[in-house]
Amino acid sequence: MRRIGAAIALAAVLGACGGGDAGSAPVTVFAASSLTEVFQAIDPSAEYNFAGSDDLATQIKEGANPDVYAAASPKYPDELFAAGLIEQPKIFATNKLVLIVPKANPAGIHSVADLAQDGVKLVVGAEGVPIGDYTRKVLENMGASDVLASVVSEEDDVKGVVSKVSLGEADAGFVYATDVKPVADKVTTIELPEEAQAKVDYPIAVVKGADDEEAARAFVELVLGPEGRQALDQAGFGLP
Amino acid sequence: MRRAFDVFLALSVALVVAFLALPLIALFLRVSPGELFAQLGSEAARDALVVSLKTSIIAHVFVLAIGTPAAYLLATRRFRGRELIVTLTELPLVLPPAVAGIGLLAAFGRAGLLGGTLDAFGVSIPFTQSAVVLAVIFVSSPFYVRFTIAAFESVDPAYLDASRTLGASPRRTFFRVALPLAASGLSAASALAFARGLGEFGATIMFAGSLQGRTQTLPLAIYAQLDIDFDVALAIGALLVLVSVAVIVSLKLLPTWTRFGSTSPFAAAPSRSS
Repeated sequence: MRRIGAAIALAAVLGACGGGDAGSAPVTVFAASSLTEVFQAIDPSAEYNFAGSDDLATQIKEGANPDVYAAASPKYPDELFAAGLIEQPKIFATNKLVLIVPKANPAGIHSVADLAQDGVKLVVGAEGVPIGDYTRKVLENMGASDVLASVVSEEDDVKGVVSKVSLGEADAGFVYATDVKPVADKVTTIELPEEAQAKVDYPIAVVKGADDEEAARAFVELVLGPEGRQALDQAGFGLP
Repeated sequence: MRRAFDVFLALSVALVVAFLALPLIALFLRVSPGELFAQLGSEAARDALVVSLKTSIIAHVFVLAIGTPAAYLLATRRFRGRELIVTLTELPLVLPPAVAGIGLLAAFGRAGLLGGTLDAFGVSIPFTQSAVVLAVIFVSSPFYVRFTIAAFESVDPAYLDASRTLGASPRRTFFRVALPLAASGLSAASALAFARGLGEFGATIMFAGSLQGRTQTLPLAIYAQLDIDFDVALAIGALLVLVSVAVIVSLKLLPTWTRFGSTSPFAAAPSRSS
């Protein structure tokens, strides 16, 4: 009986330590949720944590130790770089914002101005989340910040906005142009004026003290290299 | 040999206590109490507190008003399908909150099962405080109903029979006999359900969204503030720990408290009926 107990305890301890074996462990990548589809296409074997760039930065600050960090805004990588937590970030892609509405378009939204109508349910990213900050910037550039009065929910990342619009629960939402492809059959895209666009840059960096620095560097090279550029281009990202 | 086993048991307890208490203590150590208190004055925290209290109280009124008679029937009558009904009310207890969220959307969302019907009446639930209330009721009512059934079942049926034989109506028996005798269990059930509702996160963020001052409850505010102002998130976390401590402590004190509280209606009853 005792021997079984000891064996179970030993197995549990060994199991808990198993993660340390770096030999064939896949590279761990923390990436902005707008990169979900394209990164999985570039390297399906890596281990991903897709979330809001701000959440990922908080996790890294609080001691999470991925190999690579890719964000939807230079704000958080710059902070982490200044704090000595990641290496020098490099811009690998650009993006722009669009307005999406459900295919059925229940609120009859055809332009940003329509969002100001009574009873429109607009969903945006929260302040402090890149998509939320860009959305506010674009609206400010258009002189249309008053449409924010129609906001019914501030989502913690861009996928939250996409899902609420594609489910038809919200009437409209601001997302990245590249978020539309996976839900193209459920939403209609409304382009925003070029001169009002915010500058959306995606930086990528190796995290200092990465478990497998070589693999981390290889991943960054892959994204910056021709293979990565082609996949990013196909997914609708701009290239720097 | 025996000593070694005793040491092993004591170590397990020490490990359990350390592991469970550490994160809670860490919450309070990271920022000074004065600072925590100051952060609770921030707009985001205050708005969340108001939203949480309002939606939790409304939800709780529904849970008590409908859950109590429902639990009484399920506890005192035996009929075909009773087991099935009880199991159904227990299901949300073990259901992941995200499933509750997507289920509520599928049922009450604009594109959901009842969406068209509700729309015809000009009612749209997602993104409103009503959505928060529904989410809270969905996750908290099973706690209340389950424990309230147990409380009513623990009342000796002889008292209820006696009450009926002495000519009291079923309604009077419920209010004057069953309810006071089960009061202790009902209060415990009520406190647990309220605490569970206050902590609701997954179903709310999916079904009601998150908008400060409207649908952003305390747990949602922690999530939203995490990357804006970590100290505010910590302060709200600490506040919820204090509420939980208050609930647990009052539960522990409850037996003495209700004996004291429930004797008065009994003492008053004979004089009024004579």
